[in-house]
Amino acid sequence: MTRRVYLDHNASTPVHPEVMAEMLPYFTDLYGNPSSIHAFGRDAREGVDLARERIARFLKVSPQELVFTSGGTESDNFAVKGLAWARGRGHLITSRVEHHAVFRTCQALEGFGFEGTYVGVDGYGMLDPDEVRRAIRPDTVAISVMHANSEVGTIQPIGEIGRLARERKIPLHVDAVQTFGKIPIDVDALGIDLLSFSGHKIYGPKGIGGLYVRKGTKMVSIQHGGEHERRRRAGTENVPGIVGLGKAVEVRARDMRAEAERLTALRTRFWEGVRARVPEVRLSGHPTERLPGTASLLVRHVESESIVLGLDLKGIGVSAGSACTAGNVEPSHVLVAMGVPLDWAMGAVRCSLGRSTTAEDIDYVVACLEPIVKKLRQVLPVGAA
Amino acid sequence: MRYSATVLDHFLNPRNAGMMRDPDGTGEEEYEGCGDLTRFFLRVRDGRAVEIRFQTYGCGPTIAAASMASELARGRAVDDLCRLKAQDIETALEGLPEDRRHAADVAAGALRAAALDALGKRG
Repeated sequence: MTRRVYLDHNASTPVHPEVMAEMLPYFTDLYGNPSSIHAFGRDAREGVDLARERIARFLKVSPQELVFTSGGTESDNFAVKGLAWARGRGHLITSRVEHHAVFRTCQALEGFGFEGTYVGVDGYGMLDPDEVRRAIRPDTVAISVMHANSEVGTIQPIGEIGRLARERKIPLHVDAVQTFGKIPIDVDALGIDLLSFSGHKIYGPKGIGGLYVRKGTKMVSIQHGGEHERRRRAGTENVPGIVGLGKAVEVRARDMRAEAERLTALRTRFWEGVRARVPEVRLSGHPTERLPGTASLLVRHVESESIVLGLDLKGIGVSAGSACTAGNVEPSHVLVAMGVPLDWAMGAVRCSLGRSTTAEDIDYVVACLEPIVKKLRQVLPVGAA
Repeated sequence: MRYSATVLDHFLNPRNAGMMRDPDGTGEEEYEGCGDLTRFFLRVRDGRAVEIRFQTYGCGPTIAAASMASELARGRAVDDLCRLKAQDIETALEGLPEDRRHAADVAAGALRAAALDALGKRG
């Protein structure tokens, strides 16, 4: 049997067994609606409350400041639209390397009369807080910047941006989907007013996420209906999902630091191995300010998807940094914003390590990658790429 | 698996990949907006393509389509190659996903260009 190695943890992760065990009764025995006042409802409510408390403890915030959502995308939409619509009109600042959940939400708001400034990044994918400062206008109503980039792993200088925002009393939203539960986040020290997070990136279930909203932040709901989540997000709670997210956070709080160290060592082993065996390859993103488990390679003159397919046939799951769909080539907007030349950007392959990744896995992937790249380069037209 | 066994086989073991010295015909096709590029080299004897080589830059199916096209073309009359359709390549590959059909277009276009080049040189 072919060995199987999953190196796409930034895309999704398997549910942790401890998380799964805690969720299961909520499908079969504790199925009440938390809004119901009878014992069945109260049992479900207890599960939701416990999850909220666990997350609050982890983030050192108040449980009332947390809203459960269907995931990172909804949290981002809620944060950006909720801030913007509460103010009616004005100017939004975000970056050119955001996840589409923020980027396209800002673009959509431009269609409703808001104005947007999309701040650029340097070659490492990092924002310059000074540029954010220069982008601020008297009518700026919100700043939204991701904590770490999902594609290249660069961690943004949120603390400095938070200070700027706070001085000017502009709410700061941070999309922390890729950092929450992976590296420490102190919302007070970093000056964060809203924080998006997701369950399935941290060994929790899919379809559940949350938004931290600092008390006193002027927001409107984007989903209306019942009284759920203190009238901030209508809809019957995804109880098993919420319970799973709460448990996943508790497990991360316990394991996070040790795993970050382990993954950083494995990532270094991976990059050293690749660099030694594959010519014309680069590691994208910041050399030190980066997610522990993310290694994004730029393989010159080779097309991303052909590498992904070659590795897939060896049982290895990685993700292509640029995609060619229906005849349209789309080098990642992140790499374009970083100014990566096309002959490198087209060969972007993201490898993201996780709990199950071992040193043997890393060595296997490196050993598989070398002949695949070599072969793909052999069929290349001279000077075509 | 998203791709047929034949696509994967040709991707992993491309036939006739490489360059050719002094070919009788060369032609290339680039898929607009995609960057995929395939180039064919033909050696022609008595009006037939007796040797074929290709080079390509693109995703897996693009490599597989060029490889398959090179197999389909070998031994055939150069006039015939001008009429080789993308559909013929796709059928031989046992199908391509909707969003990868252009892989066969690029291969067919490049092969046609090489055949026309060979005919022009011969004429």
